[in-house]
Parts: sequence; structure tokens; C-alpha cells
Amino acid sequence: MKNPLAKAGILLVGMYVFLKFILPQFTAPLPASLIFLYLALTFAASTIFFTMSGAGLEDFMGPVGRFLTGEGQSGIAGTARILVFLVFPLLVGWQTYTKLAPSDAPPAENRTIHPAPPGEFVGLANPFPKTQDNIMMGKGLYAAFCSPCHGANFDGKGPAAPGFNPPPANFSDPGTIAQLQEAYLFWRIKKGGVGLPIEGMPWKSAMPRWEFELPDDWIWKIIMGEYDGAHQSPRTWEEEEEE
Amino acid sequence: MRRERFLGVALGTFLIAIGLGASWSVASDQPPEGKIASVAVRLYLTEGSLPTDDPNAASWNAIQPSEFNLAPQVHWPDRIQEVTVKTVKVRGMHNGQDLAVMVEYEDPTESPADAAALEFMVGDQKAHFAHGQEMIQVEGGPVNIWYWKKADGKGTDMSAKGFKTIRAQDQQDVSATGVWQGGTWRVVFSRPLATGDEHDVQITPGEWRSIAFAFWDGELVDGEAREKGSQKAVSSWWSVRAEPTPDNSMYGYVVLGIAIAAGFEFFLVRKIRRGNHA
Ligand code: HEC
Repeated sequence: MKNPLAKAGILLVGMYVFLKFILPQFTAPLPASLIFLYLALTFAASTIFFTMSGAGLEDFMGPVGRFLTGEGQSGIAGTARILVFLVFPLLVGWQTYTKLAPSDAPPAENRTIHPAPPGEFVGLANPFPKTQDNIMMGKGLYAAFCSPCHGANFDGKGPAAPGFNPPPANFSDPGTIAQLQEAYLFWRIKKGGVGLPIEGMPWKSAMPRWEFELPDDWIWKIIMGEYDGAHQSPRTWEEEEEE
Repeated sequence: MRRERFLGVALGTFLIAIGLGASWSVASDQPPEGKIASVAVRLYLTEGSLPTDDPNAASWNAIQPSEFNLAPQVHWPDRIQEVTVKTVKVRGMHNGQDLAVMVEYEDPTESPADAAALEFMVGDQKAHFAHGQEMIQVEGGPVNIWYWKKADGKGTDMSAKGFKTIRAQDQQDVSATGVWQGGTWRVVFSRPLATGDEHDVQITPGEWRSIAFAFWDGELVDGEAREKGSQKAVSSWWSVRAEPTPDNSMYGYVVLGIAIAAGFEFFLVRKIRRGNHA
């Protein structure tokens, strides 16, 4: 395979297979728009790379030109050419249609899940030592006040969870409290969903504003019980600084 | 010229594959946040009068319902840990003047205190789904609540902005009627799309609004309703939209797009041919 055009083609197909099928084995599937972006970048990069020199340009574009003009072509190549000429305008038509067609889906809303906390909550430390007693008390309070939504197993699957959008946080998922400091949780629990800034879409959150019902001491102990029960540990200042 | 023919075929199939692959991958994006049945209520555009008085009208059954999960209200006191209504099916229609929304849900007993409510944000201001409760960093707006109770035999048009502020409006615009049959309530709410009352949600075809639901099982247990006040089944915000009148101008743009693409092909080939013969 010396031909640069074929190389570019293989690169693109390989990239697509990698992004769409191989990568999701290890992480969450990529959104289609991102796959599209990466493919477009790969295409642009390989075009530039292969057409840097005059000879490369001819090698790369020559076959495309001959294919498109149909010079000296017959049989399968001729049919493929006609197909390409038909499919391209139809794709453009289809794209126009999907862009203009009234969508039945509400506009996507991008909620920031972990917005910055207000200044007064930055750097607070849990005033209670991590003793078995404190953890047990925290877990008891959690069972009473938090488990209906966040679940007895700390997995966000409490009996009240299905009615809410966004759903109650799943604390056993490494993407929630394991990413956060205890002070951040203290803010979220005290002020609840209505304490979120505008990018957190406070009007949608069912997370209660617990400061009206639970004293600070209880909240700190609940945080302890929450981490223990979910088998996660809070982010520390040292970790924050390493980034 | 064998190699080139091969390349031609390769290029052709490749372009087609990329086109289809890209469209396919665009189309196959997963909806976020788990497998919730629906995210929106659609008010279908129909002609003529709406079946506002008849929850069992055939035209209701012709509509594909949206379905939403409900939760016991454990967000603020007084809480309740278990509720009767677990899911609701919602259908809607409008005729350019009036709208009707029908909620269908299971409740094994018919009781005078059985009740249902729809809640909407009013105007452009965001409001918290819990009765427009106060938000700390965001200036919130009021909510408009359409309430039906079996014993009332009618709908009530209400407003709230914060807990314990709910009250019936001076200008009543909402009608409601319910029919219980074999363990299922069907309740139809209706109203003009536009009311001219600043306390109401105004529904404009083609525009999205926010909607939430609440239900009370009023069955008497030891002389008291099983669910009342803040003890109810709830949802948080979902979306609702009255279907716009179809806009056929878009087909003109589709044809234009196809024509431009075909023209581009034509001139591209001509240009390459000229270059080759120069
Ligand atoms: C009515 C249901 C409900 C109850 C009860 C509830 N929560 Fe929540 N909680 C939520 C929802 C919904 C979210 C996600 C939306 C948000 O972040 O505000 C959430 C988010 C959180 C978060 C943020 C997690 C993150 O990754 O950002 C924390 C921490 C939390 N809840 C702790 C608690 C604690 C502790 C209790 C008990 C004292 C509790 N919640 C009770 C519904 C609830």
C-alpha cells in the first residue's frame, strides 16, 4: 500500500473503529458529535500531510480526479462513480432536512454537575474525628434522611429516585463524592439543590436544603457515614494541588 | 489502469461508508441519564373541538401517551414515604385556540379527596418545581398550578411562589373533569392556549414549556385521607410543547441543498477535465 490516498482511507476507517468500538470498552461511549470531530480532524491532517509536496499532491489527488471525471472508466468503477454522484446531493438534502425538521425532543440542557462552591464553604474541614461512633451515627442519619432518594446502598436508587430528573447522585460511582472534598459536600447538603448557581440548574434539583432541618454537626457526621458506606474517600487538599 | 480502477471503487465505497457511518453514529447517540420513559409531553395539533368533557373519547386513545415516573414527596416536610400513584400516562392536544391534557393513572379506590395537578413555569423566569420555592443564587419566578379534585368537580387555576404561598387565582381559566373506571383515573384539564393573565403559563405552539405532576390518593384511612397537602406523589420538571403548524418551506431548502450539491459536482468535474486537457 504505497498510495497515500489508500493510506488516508485506512487511517480514517481505523480511527472510526477505534473511537466507536474499541475505546468504549474502556470508557464511556463517545458522543457522536465528538467522533465526527475527531474523524474530520484526522481527515484534514492526513490531507495536509500527504499533499505537502507537489508529487504527493498528484499522488493523492490524481486518483480522485480521474475517478470523478470518469476518464477511461468502465464497469464497477463507473457504477461507483454514479453512486457517489447520487449519494452526495442526497446526503446534503438529508442533512438539510434533519437540521430544519422540527424536533420532537426538547432542547438539550447542559447542567454543570459540580459547579464551584461559594467562597465561605471552601477549605472547611470535618471537625469530627473519624471514629466508629461518629461513622455509625452518620450512617443512621443517612438511613433516615437520605436513603429514600440516594438509596440504602448509596447507589442513588432509593424508592423516591425514579420521579426525579436529574436523578439523585450515586455515591458509589467514582464520579460523584470521590471527586469532591468534604467541604463541598457540606455546602451541597446544607444548601441543597436550590443553593446551586445558575449553571447547576437549581430549579430542577430535588436535593433538599437540609440546613432548615439538620444541625451542622449532624451534616458532618452524615458526610463521614456517606463516604464509609459508599466505600469512597474524600478528595484532599494535597490531591487538589497536584493537579 | 487496474490499480486506479481498484482505487476508484475503494474511494466510492469509502465515501458512501463514511456518509452512512457518520449518519448512523449521529443517530445512535444514547439519551442521557438512564432509561426514563419520556422527557416531554406533546400536544398534538388537531382540528375542531377538543374532547375536554370526555376522558374516554376515542380521539384520546388514538394518541401515543408519554409516561413519567413519580416519587413520594420526600423533598420537604411533611414527607411521605410511600404513595399510591407510581407512574402517569400523559396525552395532549390543541387546536390552535384551546388545549387539553389528559393524565391517566392507577388508583384502586375512587374517593372524593382523590386529586391531580399539573404545574408550569410562568414566563421566562425559572421556577423551582417544588411550588417555586426560593433559590439562593438565582432569582426564581412563580408557578402556575392546575388543580383538580374529585369532590370539587372542577379545575382550579392556582399560583405559588414558595412554600405555603399557594392560592387560587382571581381569574380562573382552567376546566377539569375526571372519570374513574376499574382502578384507573382519567382526568382531562383544558384551557385556552393564551389567557391574557400574567399569572398563567402561556402556551405558544412550537415553544417549549416546563411541566410537573402531582397526585393524591384521597382514600380514607381511619377517617383521614391517605395522602393530602404536601404528602403526595410528585415529579420534577419535564417538557411540554404544543405542536406547531407544519412548515412546508423547509422542503424548498432541502431541494435547494440538493441542487447546490449537484451543481458543485458538475462544476468540480468540469474543472478537473479542463485542467487535464490544458
Ligand atoms: C428528595 C430526594 C433527595 C433526598 C432526600 C436527598 N437528596 Fe441528595 N440529591 C438529590 C438529587 C436529585 C441530587 C442531584 C442533583 C443535585 O446535585 O442537586 C442530589 C445530590 C446530592 C449531592 C451532590 C453529589 C454530587 O456529586 O454533586 C450530595 C452530596 C447529596 N445529594 C447528599 C445528600 C444527603 C447527605 C442527604 C441526606 C441528608 C440527601 N442528599 C438527601 C436528591 C435527594
